[in-house]
Amino acid sequence: MDTPGSMTSPTAPGLAAAEKPKAIPWYKSRVEKKNLRLGILFISPWIVGFLGLTLYPLLYTFYLSFTRFGGFKDPVWIGLANYQRMFNDDNFSKAMYNTFYFTFLAVPIGVVVALMLALAMDQPLPEIPLYRTLLYLPSILPLFATAFIFMTLLDPNQGIVNDFLRTLGFDPPNWFGDARYSKIAIIGMAQFGAGQMALIYLAGLKGIPTSLYEAAEIDGAGVFNRLFKITIPLMTPVILYSLISGISGGLQVFTQSFIITNGGPNNSTNFLVFYLYRNAFAYSNQMGYAAAMGVVLFVITVLMAGLIFFTSSRWVNYDMAG
Amino acid sequence: MSQFTHKRVNRRSVLKGAAATGLGLGVASSIYLPTAFAAQDAAPITFWTAHSGLGFDALTKISEQYNAMQSNYVVEIVQRPPGSETDVAGLITAVRSGEGPDVYLLDRFTVGERGASGLLEDLKPLMEAAGDDTDLSQTFAGFAAEEAQYDGGIYAMPFDTDLRALFYNKKMIEEAGADMAAWDKANGPMTFDSISEFLLSMNVEENGALTQAGFVPYFSQGWHYTYGFAWGGDFFDYENCTVSPDSEINLEAFQWVQDYCETAGFQKLYDFRQPSARPGAAPTDNPFIQGRLGAMISGNWEFAGFANYAPDTEYDFTFTPIPNEGDPSITWAGGWSAVVPAGANNVEGGYDFAKYMTSAEGQRTYVEINNNLPTNLALLDDVELLGENLAWFAQQMGTTRNRPVLPVGAKYWDEMTAAWERIYTGDASPADAMATARENTMMDMDAGGYCPIAPPK
Repeated sequence: MDTPGSMTSPTAPGLAAAEKPKAIPWYKSRVEKKNLRLGILFISPWIVGFLGLTLYPLLYTFYLSFTRFGGFKDPVWIGLANYQRMFNDDNFSKAMYNTFYFTFLAVPIGVVVALMLALAMDQPLPEIPLYRTLLYLPSILPLFATAFIFMTLLDPNQGIVNDFLRTLGFDPPNWFGDARYSKIAIIGMAQFGAGQMALIYLAGLKGIPTSLYEAAEIDGAGVFNRLFKITIPLMTPVILYSLISGISGGLQVFTQSFIITNGGPNNSTNFLVFYLYRNAFAYSNQMGYAAAMGVVLFVITVLMAGLIFFTSSRWVNYDMAG
Repeated sequence: MSQFTHKRVNRRSVLKGAAATGLGLGVASSIYLPTAFAAQDAAPITFWTAHSGLGFDALTKISEQYNAMQSNYVVEIVQRPPGSETDVAGLITAVRSGEGPDVYLLDRFTVGERGASGLLEDLKPLMEAAGDDTDLSQTFAGFAAEEAQYDGGIYAMPFDTDLRALFYNKKMIEEAGADMAAWDKANGPMTFDSISEFLLSMNVEENGALTQAGFVPYFSQGWHYTYGFAWGGDFFDYENCTVSPDSEINLEAFQWVQDYCETAGFQKLYDFRQPSARPGAAPTDNPFIQGRLGAMISGNWEFAGFANYAPDTEYDFTFTPIPNEGDPSITWAGGWSAVVPAGANNVEGGYDFAKYMTSAEGQRTYVEINNNLPTNLALLDDVELLGENLAWFAQQMGTTRNRPVLPVGAKYWDEMTAAWERIYTGDASPADAMATARENTMMDMDAGGYCPIAPPK
């Protein structure tokens, strides 16, 4: 439908060269108004959800971060005290360190693992649907169940992983019980969910024209050359998406320490969201402090996503899209 | 066509059927109506608990007894998912949304904290209105009464309790050459030093890992509080309004633990304990149940576990050891309590049921089914009810301590537990670890502006 508000270009066919483009009127016709009303009505569930469940909690959290609040009595305004306190709180610094440690290792490793899974899922084999299912299956397990599986697998004395390491002559560690290995174990566990991202990568792989590989092969390009010169550059838009969503998820890591380690040993798995949760729901009158942590986490997430997004023009290749 | 399609329904048969139905309904209503009306008149009381197994069975029985003995209220018991004792996320969110219960079974050591935050109703006005005695120590064991109060308010009714002692596998320690007379509780407590060398000698290694241990100081109930209290220490300095995990006496106690773990091998002991310490570990993962651990500090609830999972194990128990010859054996107790959350729909009913649950009658039912220690003074001398073992524990209540009632109790516990881990794994000296715990806890104390805090009466 061609309406005054639609994308009417001066060079559109049928428009005389001498004619000046018509100014877009500020008012809307009855039909347009009706369409607008209907459109808003259709997206109203989202609008209500966004206003009530995202924007309001966000603003309220921001307000609470300047108060001392226990959830029941009236919040008491204390200005920037909650933010100042973070600088002196050992546990907060440790939680920040743990969270960044997890994110900066788990996310890049996750990208590599997901890409490898996607490449494996993309092999031209008759039984490939079966392999795809098997490779994807672990990622549909709830994190809660995965946690229990890993607790059994990585048990220091009876776990199959340590049994295997012992047969190879290693002195295996106490994965979740030793502060030196606990984060590594949780990073390893996070890779169980790589199947989800692998599916998106697979869709990306399917979008790369086979003619590019054929031409490269004729030119003598080997497997690695094709991977690094064709596949990965053309997959960078998908990698950008997975990095941003991975970092957002990584900064919110919580379930593993809640179920397996309770923040230990020696606070080594005390991640920021876990510490935030303890302050909000286990410690008295600390909901304001927890809210301040939430605000800091929000700002960090936005900054990191922004940083990746703005540097993306240097490494993301949109040739395929163009 | 079948014969049924030809059968006509005449007026007589309809009237007969209607009469029979009417008669039936009449008889049924004469039986059920009084109950139905009674149930309709009775105000509901929603009771939440995270207890399971025998504990839940006992609480269900108490609810049934309460429903049968009066007609004003009807208790509906709801089992909540278990979680950490200090985590009340479910309760907080439910209360905030106006969907909270009328009664909740709360770990007693957090009552002060939850009362201070406004999560709980102050029961004192209700008690006064009902003409009940507001001096809880007249009805309940002193430490339990103390835990139920904060800043002049009464926020809970004490329910059960649990005391710590030294449990040991008789066969194992006898074969290792123990002086069995010294281990007999009739001969009083032993000192920590007198048994440490012997317990260390029981450790057995295979391929560099312990397959048997004499004692793991931090296994089961070997907490910071256990050793601090045993040495006669305190954990809060009311005069200066500061937590004192690194008081001189406490550090002496924690040093004993660190020295023991160092001699046994920090990592070896840790690995030995790990399978039983992981979340979701089965009772049979307990090395004491498996017959691989000589002694442990644990609580009176173990009797039920031993009966179920190690019926053939010959075990006994004795006093928590003492630091020096002649010192009194001091243990500590925890336990649960009935609270009425703020904004409950039925505050009066909630208090009424809490009162019944914690009464001698309610606690008697709990002891009979769940075999746990009561706090109601009327039951503590009842050897017939308690049995020989529980009666011995009940006798120790005179020297039993409780965790200090603080508005930062959960934070303090978490901080000390993190420090405790650093101590028994050799990661830090007791002084450094506990100083950090003190500083971090005081940060919450200062932020909350809770000082001064009146010492318990």
